[in-house]
Amino acid sequence: MSEDHHHLLPTTPVEERVNVLEALLTENGIIDPMAMDEVIAYYEHEVGPMNGAKVVARAWIDPSYCARLLADGTAAIAELGFGGPEGSHMVVVQNTPVVHNVVVCTLCSCYPWPVLGLPPNWYKSPPYRSRMVREPRVLLAEMGCPIPDDVEIRVWDSSAEVRYLVLPMRPESTEAWSEDALAGLVTRDAMIGVARL
Amino acid sequence: MSATKVVDAGFAEPSLPRSNGALSFDAPWQARAMAMTVLAVEHTGREWEDFRRQLIAAISSDPSRPYWDSWVAALDCLLGEAGLI
Repeated sequence: MSEDHHHLLPTTPVEERVNVLEALLTENGIIDPMAMDEVIAYYEHEVGPMNGAKVVARAWIDPSYCARLLADGTAAIAELGFGGPEGSHMVVVQNTPVVHNVVVCTLCSCYPWPVLGLPPNWYKSPPYRSRMVREPRVLLAEMGCPIPDDVEIRVWDSSAEVRYLVLPMRPESTEAWSEDALAGLVTRDAMIGVARL
Repeated sequence: MSATKVVDAGFAEPSLPRSNGALSFDAPWQARAMAMTVLAVEHTGREWEDFRRQLIAAISSDPSRPYWDSWVAALDCLLGEAGLI
């Protein structure tokens, strides 16, 4: 007991392995623990769905930006200063009154970090990864996002090198809204395609 | 006892997304594994894609293993391959 008084919680084997790897890499000068903290803080606070929301709001108010975004997602997103790991081949798919897009990664957890942050746990879960391909309409309804029968559902699998971002439809009666106010309407789930605005 | 035993919550109904606020990490070691991976990939000068391939392989080799456990297995492979450990 006194031996491990500084260990308040038991560690799992995988956690031990992370500790070992971190110690090895630090010792060999490959990583700097301070830099690790910076990376974590960056992904927790600096990047996230608010970045994607800015992209969407800009596309709503600026038709020429919207056209550039649909033509070359990576370049148009970089115009707003967003890019980095998991963001090198971004493709933006646009919802319309007759098409609803939704994104999944069937093989692992590919996700556009620079505009959405890190993926939520359900996105990485095997049921989401398999069912979104097999029965998207049923799953979307279960997730609180029923899609009318006359709307086509397109499922985009990020398992190539491409990261998809859904451009939701601009909600009605927002013609007079500012870009910032519009960005505040855009949710992460809408940009994955599991919610509608 | 199992406070740090992290099992992917899977797809239990209450965890279905209805808001923006889901946490990305269940435990600090997962955040550290992620950060270490970003820095190690940067250090090797490789593409993120190389890690992604390892992650896909790690997940397919044991689909029922929790996600972040597979992540660490993939990181292990990447570091081994790059001769960093």
